[in-house]
Amino acid sequence: MSENDTTTDGHETATDGGQEAAADGSGIVAPDDETPTWSERKERTQGLSQLTYEYFERARREDQDLRTESDYVERDVLAFPVWPHEMIRNLALTSFFTGMIIFLSAALPPHIGAPANPSQTPAVILPDWYLYWSFGLLKLGPLNPELSLLGGKKLMADRTYGVVANLVVVGFIAIVPFLNKGAARRPVEQPFWAAVGVFGVIFAATISALSVKNLVPMDSHLLFDLTFLLPFVGGFLTYAVLKSMREGYMFELNRRYYRLRPPK
Amino acid sequence: MSLERKDEHDHEGWMKERDLTPVETVYLTTLMWLDKRLRIVDYLELLEDLYYKINMQMPKSHTEQYNLDNKFWYWYPLYALGSFSTIAYVVAAISGALLGFYYSPATTGDPSAAYNSITFIMTDLRFGFFLRSLHRWSAQVMVAAVFLHMLRVYFTGAYKEPRELNWIIGIVLISLTMVFGYTGYLLPWDQLAFWAGQIGVEMALSVPLAGEWVAQLLFGGFTLSQSTLQRMYILHVFFLPFITTALIAIHVGIVWMQGIAEPH
Ligand code: HEM
Repeated sequence: MSENDTTTDGHETATDGGQEAAADGSGIVAPDDETPTWSERKERTQGLSQLTYEYFERARREDQDLRTESDYVERDVLAFPVWPHEMIRNLALTSFFTGMIIFLSAALPPHIGAPANPSQTPAVILPDWYLYWSFGLLKLGPLNPELSLLGGKKLMADRTYGVVANLVVVGFIAIVPFLNKGAARRPVEQPFWAAVGVFGVIFAATISALSVKNLVPMDSHLLFDLTFLLPFVGGFLTYAVLKSMREGYMFELNRRYYRLRPPK
Repeated sequence: MSLERKDEHDHEGWMKERDLTPVETVYLTTLMWLDKRLRIVDYLELLEDLYYKINMQMPKSHTEQYNLDNKFWYWYPLYALGSFSTIAYVVAAISGALLGFYYSPATTGDPSAAYNSITFIMTDLRFGFFLRSLHRWSAQVMVAAVFLHMLRVYFTGAYKEPRELNWIIGIVLISLTMVFGYTGYLLPWDQLAFWAGQIGVEMALSVPLAGEWVAQLLFGGFTLSQSTLQRMYILHVFFLPFITTALIAIHVGIVWMQGIAEPH
């Protein structure tokens, strides 16, 4: 290195040692002392890879600062480690439930129906229970808006409407983390989102019931109305209960704070 | 220079002077044999590095950290649901592989060969009835566990930063689980399977814009036929297992890196 520096200055900046070896084919691998360090590589790179290096450096410095500032020294990941905390309990609980699966399958084996017959539609067509919700969303025809602009025609066929409804439901669930941010975790700290969750669970149940309305001993119009009413009832109740719990709960959590500054 | 170099790299001489037990000798010999050919020592070093980078220390418990008077967080047992989904998936995979030895996805004959192979499994195969039952139940339990796992994550707010990505992977996983269930439901080719398949084709056809293409791709046509069954079979035993297994590994790997979210 130093030899190079003294002899050909301009040459050194243009290449990085490894390249001049290519002429005679020897030394394709850079000798250890010539392998560039990370900071050297960073100086040489440009464009996106340089940005990457710069960001990494910043991120590492941020981590470092956070760790030195923290009075919480036991670990630097703010969460439970999976091992051994989680694993031990999970192994105990799951082996019990695996036993349950085996017991269930020994006690309640499934049966097989008549063989497929394209020329005879059975009275009851059903998917497995966990797809009822999706099946139910296909039956939302009555809610498909009839646009007066189109002369009372529907924008979409009822079935397309149902398929789109599926996509909307799944899409909404997928973006929840981007709608609800912040540090709150417990339902009581965020009554609104807990209410949304309860709404969703009840709706999953009622829309499933709607999908098998032929089998539910209830007037089908009543069932249709309940499908959309019950989730709202459940959601509002959750909201009301959690909202009124919240004051006392937060009081407990912030006891020390309130002790210093008692609420008027 | 002789070809047989005797220097500090003489591992055999080193082993002799170490006075090793047979187990150690066999272990070291195997390790060296592999290392000479594959240079695994480098990779072991990488692994060791990774091991130390994953924080494996026992944390201060949540209640200590947040000074919550050692209250037990009563939802902790529900944190096992993710593991339970994994276990149910493994049980389904093993019993499914065994079922695959006897099942044939053919609609030829009356009743079809597929239907016949299921009745064979149920009536003639030793433990076949139990095997099918086990596969069915573990699949159903897996769906239930995954759904409840999702609710647990939702109601404990565990999807918030930095876990949004895992939430989205989770959405893909629950969808895959249901598609798994659906494709499996069609395989016996009985009346329920056939007509559930019919609904599937109609749903695919009513997808906006790409409908016919989707129906062709997934169901091999607009009416149910041999190619429908064959496609469902390949999806069920080839595509979905690969994708789902990889995604579960990524999902759990991310949990391992990030740790379990603590309720605040
Ligand atoms: C095949 C399905 C799935 C498997 C095998 C699986 C497995 C796991 C496991 C083993 C954990 C560790 C914590 C725990 O057990 O609770 C976990 C955590 C997590 N799962 Fe899943 N999961 C699945 C589906 C889902 C779904 C459908 C979602 C949500 C839409 C989801 C979102 C998450 C999130 C956000 C975490 C991190 C939770 C935390 O840190 O507390 N997973 N998953």
